[in-house]
Amino acid sequence: MMAFIRPRLRKPLGIAVAGTVFAAAWALRGGTAWQLSVAMEVTVLVSAVTAYVRAGEDNDEGALTGSRADERQELLSLRSRALGWNFAMVAAFIGVTAGVAVKAIWWWPFLVILAVTGFGYLLGLSNYGVAEEGTADDTDTGHQVRSPASS
Amino acid sequence: MRNRVREQRTQQGLSQAELAAALGVSRQTVISIESGRYLPSLPLAFAIARFFGLTVDKMFDPDEEEAGT
Repeated sequence: MMAFIRPRLRKPLGIAVAGTVFAAAWALRGGTAWQLSVAMEVTVLVSAVTAYVRAGEDNDEGALTGSRADERQELLSLRSRALGWNFAMVAAFIGVTAGVAVKAIWWWPFLVILAVTGFGYLLGLSNYGVAEEGTADDTDTGHQVRSPASS
Repeated sequence: MRNRVREQRTQQGLSQAELAAALGVSRQTVISIESGRYLPSLPLAFAIARFFGLTVDKMFDPDEEEAGT
């Protein structure tokens, strides 16, 4: 489906759609929340237009926003996201620990974040490598299998 | 790791943008490779070497440190 959308439009459209859904959720609350919903939608549209403009810039951020990143820029994005998840895990751990310590009722959302990030990490290990280790091709030759770390 | 990307590029009279377009990467990535801040993947290293008609070990020398790093 994404192939039908121009690369430069993908992220701005994603921002617009996700933001509009979130703004609609506020509107559904009823009462005076519709005012917040309208303000949120305006902010979302401004953000989407800003993302579209930035996607045209000749720099790393522009390439990532414009969905035309090369291998170095993809690596940059991957490392940044990994750092973000690390921060989220540390913040969630601090939150759940503090919540438990003060007998608060808000400790469990932090536990959910911690569980999701931990599960995501294990899923990553499973998908991207651990399951593909295979066996050494010299297991039945009588030679000792050497680890690169010990050589 | 020292590489000869800048040397080869300037010898052929190419700009960083032209080399980037030929390799299918960004200009910023060519700059990073030339300065030694980024080590390219094996496929990209082969693409660079082939582009200049050299072997990978002639293009990238693991025994020499990049100047200024």
